[in-house]
Amino acid sequence: MATSAAPAPPAAPGVAPVLVARGLTREYGAVVAVNGIDLALEAGEFLTVFGPNGAGKTSLLRLLGGSLRPTSGEIVVGGERLDYRETGWRSRIGILSHQGYFYAHLTVEENLRFFGKLFGLRDLNERIPERLEQVGLADRAGFEARQLSHGMRQRLSLARALLHDPDLVLLDEPYTGLDPYASSVLRNVLSSLGDGRRTVVMVTHNLAQGLELADRVAIQVRGRFAWEGARGEMDATAFEHFYHHVVDRAGTR
Amino acid sequence: MRDYFGQVYAIVWKDLLLELRTRERIAAMAAFAVLAGILFNYSIDTTVVRPQDIAAGLIWMTIVFGGLLGLGRTFYLEAQDGALQGVLTSPAPKDAIFLGKTTANFLLLFVVALLVVGVFALFFDLDLGPSPAILIFVLALGALGFVALGTLFSAVASGTRMGETLLPILVFPLLVPMIIYGVSATGRLLMGRPVAEISSNVRMLAAFAILAVAAGAGLFRFVVEE
Repeated sequence: MATSAAPAPPAAPGVAPVLVARGLTREYGAVVAVNGIDLALEAGEFLTVFGPNGAGKTSLLRLLGGSLRPTSGEIVVGGERLDYRETGWRSRIGILSHQGYFYAHLTVEENLRFFGKLFGLRDLNERIPERLEQVGLADRAGFEARQLSHGMRQRLSLARALLHDPDLVLLDEPYTGLDPYASSVLRNVLSSLGDGRRTVVMVTHNLAQGLELADRVAIQVRGRFAWEGARGEMDATAFEHFYHHVVDRAGTR
Repeated sequence: MRDYFGQVYAIVWKDLLLELRTRERIAAMAAFAVLAGILFNYSIDTTVVRPQDIAAGLIWMTIVFGGLLGLGRTFYLEAQDGALQGVLTSPAPKDAIFLGKTTANFLLLFVVALLVVGVFALFFDLDLGPSPAILIFVLALGALGFVALGTLFSAVASGTRMGETLLPILVFPLLVPMIIYGVSATGRLLMGRPVAEISSNVRMLAAFAILAVAAGAGLFRFVVEE
């Protein structure tokens, strides 16, 4: 396996990519968190972005989700360039953040109903029970979010992120702080996203869990993709060696 | 348009539901209003000054100081678990979010304003004059302008290191027109002057409220976007 800073791979002829990023850069003063990243993902692709602390993974995810504006570069979702004055494109994106993005004093059902109304969804009476069933929270609908365990909160966040049936799902460290059972439940839900229709981008430190569902992998170091390519037949052990090699090499440049 | 008002309504519903559950802000504002009324009662000799001569200023300052206690916490619950970030990643326009939060804040402050008038009427044996409905309308107009500015600057202050302690410094200078016209109109109504005499004050209060709401709706996105 060769290490290379790969340019954005072109989409297959006739297949419009769901997500395209060109020269994506975000600076915080003198710090360049994301540095000229190119990316093209088709429907159904699952990209996992690995990287050490401070590599700019969360900033990249926030840029792709439109909650952070790039200093330069552009993002195209579903063929439309993100126009930050408009908000309609946000319906195509679902974001699972490690922050939760819910109200601790509202019940599980109230949280989903509130966010559903913001997304203009009309069939919430059918949709909410479906999502709660999907993430295994059907029996917790009446519980306030603050009464849930960390794993359950994470599943509530996932239900919220998937409520509006987005084309593009962005996952920020979804396994952080979860016990093995909660991780397994979350993995089952995430694997069900690979239905060939949804595009997923996940950022994580956890090599084994991140590799498991991915069909494309990127390693981000100092804001850049130090390597990006297909996962292929790589196993977790081989990838761990490769990951350290890439990070060490990119980190000493 | 239906979606827009649906989004505004969703924010109002959520904010009021959270307030009903936590009672964080309304309890602080109501307690302040009652305690201020009691303290003013003991600190002012009503045999020397007539209550209706000084009540207007005291009522408005109690509403402003009490209101700041609540407005300063507007974005506190939003910051927990990144809830506001979740709202900002939805398709809801930023002005709809602002209008929703301002409406919820207005409803809470309006309840407090009614309580303040009730407390002063009780402790100062204050006669509300021949037009109590107009008096309430004047207070509502002032409260609307106040919460529009307060909501906007609460968002500004919540992003700073000083947090809610910064809010009065930012808001007070901008409240001067509202205080001048509000106190003037309220004082005249309490003294039993004809409603026609306060029409220009009411127009100015309405203009201030409309301007504050429009400015807040237009500027809110620059405050919350990164």
